[in-house]
Parts: sequence; structure tokens; C-alpha cells
Amino acid sequence: MLTNTTILGQIVVNGLNLSAVYILVALGFTLLFGIMRVVNFAHGEFAMLGGFAFYYLYAVLHVPWLLAVVLGAVAVAGPSLILEWLVFRWFYHKMFQSMIGLLGLSLVMTYTSLLVWDVFERNVPSAFDSILRFQGVIIPMDRLVTIGVSLAALGAFYFLMVHTKIGLAMRAAAQDVEIALTQGIDAHKIYRWSFFVAVFLAALAGALYGQIYAVSPFMGERPLFVAFIVVILGGMGSIPGAALGGIILGFTESLLGTLYGGSVASYASFGIVILLLIFRPWGLLGTRE
Amino acid sequence: MTVKTLDSTGVAISGASPKPNRATIVAVLLAAALLAWPFVANERFVFHIAINVCLAAIAAASLHLIIRTGHVSLCHAAFIGIGAYTSAYVVMQLGLPFIAGLALGTFAAALLALLIGPVILRLTGKYFVLITFLFGEIVRMVFVDWQAVTGGANGITDIPAPAPIFAEPRNFYWLTLLAAALCIGFCGRLLQSELGRTIDSIREDEQLAECSGVPVIRIKVMIFVIACALAGFVGSLQAHYTHYISPQAYSPIESLNYVIMNVIGGMNTLVGPLIGALFLVLTPEFLRGYVQVQQILFGLILIIVMAFLPGGIADLRSALRTLLGPKRRDAGR
Amino acid sequence: MRSMRTALVLAAVAVLGFGPAAAQDVIKIGAIGSLSGGGTAWGLAIKRGAEIALDEVNAAGGVKVGDKTYKVELVMYDDQYTGQGGKNAAERLVHQDKVKYIIGPIGSGPVVSTIAVSTPEKVLVLSNGYTPTILRNEFKAAYNFRFTLTNLEYAPNMMKWVKENLKLKKVGILVPNDAIGQSVAPALIKLYKESGIDVVADFYERGSKEFSPLITRMMAAGIDGFDINFNAPGEAGLMVKQARQIGFDKVIFQMGGPSVPEIIEVAGKQAEGFISYEMYDFDAPAAQPLVKAYRAKYGAGIINSQTPAFYNATKVLIEAMRRAGTIDDTTKLRDTIEKIEGYDAGVYGPLKWTGKEIYGVDHQVKLPFFIVEVKDGKAVSRATLTMD
Repeated sequence: MLTNTTILGQIVVNGLNLSAVYILVALGFTLLFGIMRVVNFAHGEFAMLGGFAFYYLYAVLHVPWLLAVVLGAVAVAGPSLILEWLVFRWFYHKMFQSMIGLLGLSLVMTYTSLLVWDVFERNVPSAFDSILRFQGVIIPMDRLVTIGVSLAALGAFYFLMVHTKIGLAMRAAAQDVEIALTQGIDAHKIYRWSFFVAVFLAALAGALYGQIYAVSPFMGERPLFVAFIVVILGGMGSIPGAALGGIILGFTESLLGTLYGGSVASYASFGIVILLLIFRPWGLLGTRE
Repeated sequence: MTVKTLDSTGVAISGASPKPNRATIVAVLLAAALLAWPFVANERFVFHIAINVCLAAIAAASLHLIIRTGHVSLCHAAFIGIGAYTSAYVVMQLGLPFIAGLALGTFAAALLALLIGPVILRLTGKYFVLITFLFGEIVRMVFVDWQAVTGGANGITDIPAPAPIFAEPRNFYWLTLLAAALCIGFCGRLLQSELGRTIDSIREDEQLAECSGVPVIRIKVMIFVIACALAGFVGSLQAHYTHYISPQAYSPIESLNYVIMNVIGGMNTLVGPLIGALFLVLTPEFLRGYVQVQQILFGLILIIVMAFLPGGIADLRSALRTLLGPKRRDAGR
Repeated sequence: MRSMRTALVLAAVAVLGFGPAAAQDVIKIGAIGSLSGGGTAWGLAIKRGAEIALDEVNAAGGVKVGDKTYKVELVMYDDQYTGQGGKNAAERLVHQDKVKYIIGPIGSGPVVSTIAVSTPEKVLVLSNGYTPTILRNEFKAAYNFRFTLTNLEYAPNMMKWVKENLKLKKVGILVPNDAIGQSVAPALIKLYKESGIDVVADFYERGSKEFSPLITRMMAAGIDGFDINFNAPGEAGLMVKQARQIGFDKVIFQMGGPSVPEIIEVAGKQAEGFISYEMYDFDAPAAQPLVKAYRAKYGAGIINSQTPAFYNATKVLIEAMRRAGTIDDTTKLRDTIEKIEGYDAGVYGPLKWTGKEIYGVDHQVKLPFFIVEVKDGKAVSRATLTMD
């Protein structure tokens, strides 16, 4: 019997869960734009690689769950630095060129993965099969864990940005690269660090996404689409904005979807974002330009 | 005397051509070739490709107008779709002739552009890109959901050719060639006129233009309406060629294709989108044989072109010169 | 002016770039399918089914047509799962490569566009595609056949089975807002209502992976059964998984698809008890040669249920060439295919045609279909049904 509490509770849990993954993806995306002014159309593909790395570590090699998630993200972010050197660095501070060039990269990554791994979706066996029942609200354990890991990642990211020297340098570069350079900051080092962190977050999100949904070469499309919208909502280049945007989008989708169905949720989400762009284009927490 | 305006990277910005005779000769030869080759190479498939190139060229050129005002639109395909669906509806449901479909399709797109232009053109840069993306997505969703009028996700089939004579691809090619000449010629004239120079001044420094008395928003809206009208025009033409339209062809992803044509071809001159259209229609056909790796190769090409030719293919010469190092010094720049 | 010259050069290169391929004693068989984008799983099914069939033919030395023996080769192009892509691929195959027969595509959009190009040139098309206009059209389907069942064929009898065995009062269905969903859902809803079952329906945009809110909504409406009908395999698997995870404990079944192996893979333990329409029984003895050939060539992954249908189509085409003694006279080939009843390509048993009542021509293949239930991670056959 579904009571109103159950439904409301479901909405909240689904909302939190959606938000958590969305935020992780959006963070990396906005970091790359904020510091290097690139629009990373291949961001979803890094999430996809994270999903596959996690799949192989956990489902095939039976590495313990949390280790698999983190190690998988590192395993993707590390080697991706080669891509940074090969592809990304040609596009720093060139927004339109980056859009098209990285779109090309996303094609290369997606269809190479298709060749390597075939098209069908892989399931990652649930590490946490149990289902919590609490006051009539049903919470699948793996979603709870997702929320937990996302929060931990967000916390670590926050710590990095606010309490470390490299984080300070990154924020300086985001504000004004040229002045940061005159202050003696090594731009390339910052770029590489930012790239590593951004891809790490995306790959982490991909692992969690893959756990809840499934892993396949095409799985990166949805996270990218979502990252776009979240970043619009929150403001391009704003990190708290990405967090806020993720929460709003996640809850809107959950609330409207449950109460009014799929169509309404889609139109309403877009409508809200359009209105926001018209009246407050720098997003909720972006900086007015 | 050669008068050419060059920007800091040596790219020609819509300069007036100095030697009319040579240009005219080239143009006449080109026109003759474009008109005459169907008699020599009577290959239906080549006509198909040529028609696609012409249609893409019109679409890319009309988008170019918007880009010259400093705005990159990701809803251009949506306006093409509006032209297509309007035309199909007018011809099939209302029984009017193709010319009415063409006119009403153009008009419908222009009207919608007029309605949303003043609102969205207040945004610039990435915000404009984002809002046009969302708008394009909403239009696509309307195409999918309004099943009674648009046929929904299944689209509209059996759209008739403009006239029985144009059911023959070769004849349709000449029709599209004419349309392309008219539309692109119009764009070219517009860009070379006083209005064109105003547009360039807006793109280069909007605030300065405003201070100089240019009615910036009004001009932007006007250009936007013209460009979207052309999009509606080509949409109608295209619908009566492919005989089948569906919402998928008018999504923001498709809009992205027209942006790619402009960026890859070159955003600074009108020839850029034309080269881009040629490139984007032909490259997949060249790659078709490589079934498994078609998309991978295409992606690699995009990366390489963008990395080494940031000004687009139209910029090839000056990019090569920069790469190989200056052999002569340009006196007096 | 410089860029004009570049444009001219490019154009010249372009015009010179196309040349028809020569064919000596090799029959080129065209194919169209989605090799990129959302329909890739199906496009690969066409490619692989056809390739396995052609490998068999070549391994046996080729096909003997008249007094010549030919090897066979597949020329497949991507349609990107759109009508425009289908048209482009068909134009190239028919007018540039000059093929006489095309295997595929899948998807109403691509198939309709392909037929519009192929039929005037009398090119045979052996396809899939759900919309009735594939067989009931202005051409009277003169040169195309359909090699899979659509809901018009299997739904009536399956609905009878569902009504008798699942005893539902109110069913929930989630449908993608795409071509298949929009064209087939109304018919399905009508069928449910005619069978006395109430329907709670909702549409979602393709691309979404999170169905919990929508399923919650249905549960609130009091459904006692969840039909995941026309969803793509990945989404179908997620729907089963998520429904179970948020506590839906009534029957989940699929009146379409089918996607049973994918659902077992994605939903894991939560797939237990799932009931589905199935096109093909991969565990049957008759299926083993095909499965073996697939595994040898493409690895251990999931075999999409469309694969046998296109293996079948390719074998039928080759057999028709042999019987008709021609590879060029497509009208004769078409007539031969129409009369090929009883031929067994090894995957479906003897071939039968049907469809005159609904479409006006007997170009719809008649196949048995199955109802399977997932028990202990495997699909177990519960019933074999036929069309009337």
C-alpha cells in the first residue's frame, strides 16, 4: 500500500540519488570550463571509461567495492593525461574550437570503445543488495551508498579547492589566468592538475552511474547532457553552482516525474532553465559578467 | 591598389575584392561547371550528394549570418524543421501548391524568429548557445508530441515533389542550385553592404557600436529573422526532396552539424560555411567503406582540423604559412 | 579569393572520388543498419546475422546459380537509425554500388526511406520495422519482405495468454516517446482494454535511465502488473531492476521487445520471475550451430534476438538465387521468395508467408513465438504460441 509518506520519501531518495551523480559529473565539466575555458564534449566518455574500469576491477577481478571505485577513477584519470597532452592542450581558451575538437574526441572514444567492448550493456552486480525500509519509505542500499560516496568526493574536492595550495592556484587561474601567471603560478601544472581532478570526478561518477544503471559504450551521453543543464543552472565555472544546480535538477526530475509523469518533467525542466537563462543567465551562483 | 582587411592572425575579413575581372571570370567558369556537369556525369547518386551539399550550404550560410553578429545558434535545425513541417502540412493537408508551402514555411520560421529573437538575443556568448540549445530541444519535443499535426516521432511520409518534373533528381539538382545561388548570393551581398559592415562592428565591439549610435538589438533581430527565414526556406525545399521528415532531423545535434560546418570551414568569411558544407556532406561518404571505424576516423579528422586550423579550412593557406614560417615580410600592414 | 580556390580544389577532388566497384564472380549483397547511435545493437544484429550466413556459403565454396559459382560479400552502410540516414545509405547502395538486394534495415524510419528508393529500381529489401506501411503501401510491397513479427502478428494471441495466465486487472506500461512507442502503444492499449484490463500508461524521453519516479507513480495508481513492452533492451533491464528495488512485487512482463538476455544481465537477481515474449529460443538444439558460429566470430557477449531473423533472411535470399537460377532478375527472385514456403534455413523451421489479410500481400514471415519466464537466471520456455 503506497501512502503519501512513502511516495514523498521515494521522491526525496530518488532526488538525492539523481542529484549526487549529476553533481559529480557537472563538477568536472565546470572545472574544465572555468580554468581552461574548454567545453568538454567528451566528458561523458570519461565517465563511461570510469564505468568500464570499475566493472573490470569489481565484477571481473573482484577487487573490494570501494577500492574498485576509487582505483578505477585513478586508472582512468592517470592515463587520460596523455589525452590532455595529445588533444586538449590545443584547445585551451578557444571555446568554439574546443567544442568541435572535443566532439571529435567523444566520437573517437565512444566508437573505439564500441569496437573493444561491443554494444551490449554490462551489469555490475550489486555490492549492496539489501533494501532498507524506514517508516514506509523504501531505500535501496546501493543508492544510499552512492549518495555517501558522492558526498565524500564532494567533501574531498572542497577541501582540495579551499585548503590546499594547488586548490588556491586553481581558483586563481579560474579567475584570471594572466594575473595568476604573473604571480608565479605554473599554468601548465595547474591545467594538468585540473584535468586530472575533472576526469577523476567524471570517472567516479561513471562508476556509480554504472553501478546503479549499467555500463556500455554509449552510457556517456546522458551524463553529458545532464552536466550541461546542471552547469547552466548553477552557472558556468561556479563550483557551488554545480552543486546547487545538481540538487535542483535531481529533485525537479524526481518530483515532477513522480507526480506528473515523464513529459511534464521534461518540459518543465527545460522551461525553468530557459527562464533562468533569460532573467539570470549567469546561473544561480555564477558571477555576473 | 589592394585593400584587404586582415585580423591579427592574417585571416581575411570580408574584404572587397580588388580585381573584378579575374573574380568574374572564375565565377562564370564555376557557374558553368556547376550547371553543365550533370550532362557529363549522369549518375543519380552523385546528384543526390550534390543536392545534399547545396541544401547544407544554404543552411550553413544562413547560420553564418547569425555567427557574424557574434552569436552561435544551436537551434538552426529547429527553424529548418519549422519550414519543413509547415510546408508539408500546407501542401498535404491544405492542398496548396509547393510554392505556397515554400512561402509559408519561410514565413513561419521568420515569424517564430521574430517572436523569440528580441528575448534571446539579449544574451551573448555561451549563454546564447545554451538557450538556443534548449529552445531547439523544446521545438523538437513539440514535433514529437504534437502527433496530430506532425505525425509525432514517426514523422510525415510521402511528401510530394515540388512538381512532377522535379521528381527526377537531376532536375531537382538544378532547382537546388538555383536556390543556393539566390540564397547564398543574397547572404554575400548583405555581408558586403553597409549593413554587413555594421554587423561586423557589432561583433567586434558591441558596446562601441552601441555608443556610435548603432541600434544593436534591432539589427541583431533583423539578421536573426532573415537567417531563420532562409532556414525555413531550405527546410521546405529539403522536405520535398527527401519525401520524409521526422523530428530527429531537427534536433540540437543536427544544429550542431551546421555549427561544425561553419567552424570547420571558417567562421570569418562566407566561403567558410560553403567549404564546411562540402566537407561535412562528403567526408562521411568517403568514409562509408570503413564501416566499423567510420565514426572514429571522422572524430579524428575533427580533432586534427580544429587543432591545426583554428580558423577553419578556409584558412588553410595562412595556417600553412604560419606553420612553415614567414618567407617574406609583408610591407605595410 | 584564396579560399575560393581552396573550395574549387576540394570540389574537384570530391567529384573524382566516386567510382563504382567492380564485381567479378562475387555477388554483392547490400545491407543497411544502425552502426552508430541508439540503434547500434540492432544494426550489429543485422550485420552479424548476415555475415554468419554468408560465411557459411563461402565456406561451402560459394553459391551455385545456374552454371556459375559465386562467392558472396556483404556491403553494409550505417543509417544512424534515422530516416535521412536510411535514404542516404539506400541511395548509395542502389545507385552507386548498384546492389540488387538489401538486408535490413531495422526501424520504421530507415525502412520506409529505403523502400522509397529501392522499389522503383526493383531492388529487394528484406527488413524488419514495426509500422504497417512497410507492407501496406503505395508499392504494395512489391519488392520487400518482412522477416520479423510485429505486434499486429503476435499481440492478439499473446494477450489471450496473458489474460488467462496472469489474471490482471490493471496494468502499467512505460513507453518511450519515439517512433515505435508512438505508433504501437495505442494499439497495445486498445488491445488491453478490449481484453478487459485497465491501463495506466506513461511516456518518457529516450535517453533517460531513471524510471523510479514514473514507476512510483504507477504503483500509486494501484497497478497489479507492469508491462515493459517496446523499450530498448538496456532500458527494459533497468525498469525491471528499479521496479524491484523500489518495492514493486507484482508481476513484471514484456509484451514486446524482446530483450530477455539483456534483462537477465542488467537486472541480475531482480529478473527472477520476469515473463516475456521471445522471438527465439537460443537454448533449443536447432539454435546451437548459429550460437556456435556467433561465439567463434564475435565473442562471448549477449546475442541480440534479431540476429537469427537476419541470418534467416540472408539464407532465404541465397536459396532463392539458387532456385531461380539468377542473381540479376529481381522480379524472378521475388517470385521465387514468395514461393519458397517450406524452406528451412535451420533456425526457424519451415518458412511460411502470411499477411494478406492485414497488408494485402503475403510478404510477412510467419513464425512461432515463445513465452519465457526467468528462473534462476535463465530463460525457461513456458509456452510456444503461433499466430492464428
